[in-house]
Parts: sequence; C-alpha cells; structure tokens
Amino acid sequence: MASDNEGSKNKSSSLPKLLIPVLGIGGLGVMAVMGIVAAFVFTGWLGQPVPVLGFEQTFDQPINFPHTIHASTKQLDYVPADGLSTMEGLGLDCTFCHRTVTTQANAGVPPVAFCATCHQAIGAADNPELIILRDAANLTNSKGQSAAQIEELLDSGVAAEKLDGPEPVNWKRVHRLPDHVRFVHEPHIRYLTQNPGEIKGTTDGVTEGAAGVCSTCHGNVAAMKQVEQVEPLKMGQCVDCHRDNGAPTDCVACHY
Amino acid sequence: MTSANFGGHNWGMVVDIDKCIGCQACVIACQAENNVPLNTQDRVERGRSISWIRIERYWEGDFPDTKARFIPIMCQHCENAPCEPVCPVFATYHNSEGLNVQVYNRCVGTRYCANGCPYIVRFFNYWEPVWPETLRNHLNPDVTVRSRGIMEKCSFCVHRIRRATRTARSQDRQLLDGEIQTACSSACPTSALNFGNFNDPNSKVSTMRKDQRHYTLLDQFATEPNVIYLAKVDTDRKVGAGEAASHG
Repeated sequence: MASDNEGSKNKSSSLPKLLIPVLGIGGLGVMAVMGIVAAFVFTGWLGQPVPVLGFEQTFDQPINFPHTIHASTKQLDYVPADGLSTMEGLGLDCTFCHRTVTTQANAGVPPVAFCATCHQAIGAADNPELIILRDAANLTNSKGQSAAQIEELLDSGVAAEKLDGPEPVNWKRVHRLPDHVRFVHEPHIRYLTQNPGEIKGTTDGVTEGAAGVCSTCHGNVAAMKQVEQVEPLKMGQCVDCHRDNGAPTDCVACHY
Repeated sequence: MTSANFGGHNWGMVVDIDKCIGCQACVIACQAENNVPLNTQDRVERGRSISWIRIERYWEGDFPDTKARFIPIMCQHCENAPCEPVCPVFATYHNSEGLNVQVYNRCVGTRYCANGCPYIVRFFNYWEPVWPETLRNHLNPDVTVRSRGIMEKCSFCVHRIRRATRTARSQDRQLLDGEIQTACSSACPTSALNFGNFNDPNSKVSTMRKDQRHYTLLDQFATEPNVIYLAKVDTDRKVGAGEAASHG
C-alpha cells in the first residue's frame, strides 16, 4: 500500500519536472513573439512605420529619372550617364513638369512628349535612359528608326501597325495614399505659398517658388537621385498640420 | 473654427413632386457619379441592391382612372438623425454643414444605422464591388470605392461641394447659389430636384421651401430632414393640396 503510494507520487512528480523546461522555453518564446508584435504596433502607432510597411522605400523606375539634374541648383555628386561630371543641376521649378499641381488635385506626371521637347535635342544619343524616353515619345522606335524615317515608311505605304507605336512610360508611384483619402494639392500649395512661415522641411539646394512649399510633405526631392517617401504621410500628420493652421478637421474634409 | 472655414452652410434639397415624371435619370446619374456597384439580378432578388436614390411608384385610383405617383427618396440628411447615435464607432455623424456624413474608413459594419433609418436609404456592402472590365475606367476618381463590409448612402455629392468650395476659395469669392448641383439634381430634366443652401434666405431652395405645399417624409418621427418635399398638385382631386402628402 505504502509502496504503491510512493510509486504514484514519483510518477506524478516526474511528469511536471520534464515539462518545466519545455514550458519555460515555450513561455519565453511566446513572450518574445508578443514583444516583437508590440514593438511593431507601437512603431506603426507612433508614425514611424518600419520599412516592412512600405514606407521609406524607393522604386526602380522604368527610366531612372534623376531629380538632382533637373531640380537641384547644386553640382552633382555623381557622374551622369553622359559623363558630364562637372554638370550643375538645372534648378527647374517643380511646376515646370508637374504642371497641374497649383490648379488640380493631382500634381501630374508629364507625358513623355513633354520630356521630349527638351530631350529630342538635349542629352547624348547613346544615353540608355534617353533611348527609352525617345522610344516612348515616338521620336525613334525600338528598331532605331527616327520619326522622319517612320514618316517616310508610312508615306511609302507600310501599314502603321507594322511599326512600333509609342508606349506610355509605366512610372511607379512613390507617394501613395489609401483610396479613402482625397488629397487635393491645389489648396495646400496655395495656403503655403501665401504663408511661407508654415513651410516645414528643407529647401537646401532647391530653387525659389513651389519647391520650398512641396518640401513640407515631399522632403528635398531636388537632392534625391531616386525619389523616396521621407514623411510618413499618415492621418496624424495631416490632422496635426490642419489643427496648427486652422484648416478643417471635419472627417468629410478628406474622407468622402 | 470648422464652421467658419466652411462658411456656415446648411445644405439641403427641395423635391417638387409635382414636377417628377419618374424617369429615373437621377437614379442612373447617382449610380454613375458615386461608383455605386452594379445591381445584378442576383443581388436584387436577395434584396441587397444598392441605390442611393430611388423612385418609389404608387398607383392611385381604380382602373381605368389610375394615376402613377412618383417620389424620389434619398438620404434625408436628418438634423435629428436616428442613424447617428447608434453607431458605436462614430462612423456616421452630423457635420457643421448639415450633412449626415458616412466615414467609410471608420465603419466597422455593425449595420445598426441601417436598422435605425426609417427611410431605408442606407445600404450595406455584402460583397466586394466588381465592375465589368469595360466599366473599370468609368469610375469617378473623386469618390471612394467602398469595399466589402461597410455602410454607404447618399452623401449629397459632397465631392462636388468640396470642389466648388475649393474653386470659390481659390478665386477669393463666396459660393454662388446654384453653383453646386448634385448628380441627381443636375440630371433631373424637369428640375424636380433642387439643391442649395438653406442658411441663405435668398437661395432658390429657401424660397421654394416656403411654398405651402411643403412637407417632410415621416414627420411623426421628428427627424427634421434637410430634404423638403413639395406635394403633388392634382386638379382632379377634391382635397386640398396640403393633404396630398398623407394620402396614399
């Protein structure tokens, strides 16, 4: 009877002994996972999302358009494809290409035909980026035929569909907002132009005019060889700025 | 601050039933303007079709002396809205411009508001909206495409209000009466639907609502709608025009 009791006691006490390290390691694992999740949530909450969420990432565009050459006034710190290492930025205003930004909701990406007004003459013929651009603008096609040659071919009776037509450049969008947000550039540009004191952001190496205004949300794009999103552009940031400037904080000001 | 920025408007609509011919142009215009999902036969049969504005049709009298009566019904944007206090997440609320606002990204889809609404003008998205390939590029970019699981309703074409307000402010002037037209009122061939600012005593809608034919739908619930109806004038009928509303 007594030995039986002892035996059962040994059995019952040996089982938890085995489980203790397992449970301990498992518990630590669960704690670690919860800690990672909590850190992830808090980073998102504080408006500094971790790169996993898609912020602060850049995209390789179909044409590596360098904003540095076009918008900056500073000397370039890299050698462009044309080899013009001593080249200075042109210092174009943002609105030179993003024409609708002061009047419309969207800033607008210029059509390649607009790029081609300069680049049919400017830029080396063997610059790989400009070859793509000139193809897209139908100045040349993928067979290397120029617009004049295409015209000649068409005149000689070649069907138009046999020639490569222009294809739009499929730019990748860097600054994205969810579909339930309606952001309109026009009033923001107008307000910040009238109240330059409210401009946040750097204008280092940026020309006067719209560029300083734009840097409030887009950062110093003129200094970016590849455009990236530097501000979180989350609702908290919008609402903070709207409160500071007496702008409407009604939900339906943006969500409709 | 907010009301000052928006200029203290009180948007509303006056619907003259006497002019309504039941052509459904407003229904189509609204459907196209506001990215409302297509109502397929399957959805209609299940009673889950979405239509921000609808024409209700009533037959009056016995054959052969029958008359068709039409009444367009959209969200009434009630001042005392039954849908607003029941929302647990404040996805629907009344803003300073008299609009009953539905905030899509706040909505969690409890559907309490639809149960509370006596006008049956709130619609729930039971499915992810889909359009045929040919209609994808027809969507209005100014209006959110509502996803599955949220409530939607007439917004008084708030995107048009915003656009007109922006334009007026950029030109540094006040909004003009009649400058803002909703999709339904601009499509109405007989001007039965009229949109405007009730706070302006000289606006067209303020003048129209003083008509003795005016009434509001289901006024026994004291919802104080911002949509005012003007009763049908029927010369054949012996009863006074003011009683037409209560007549079936």
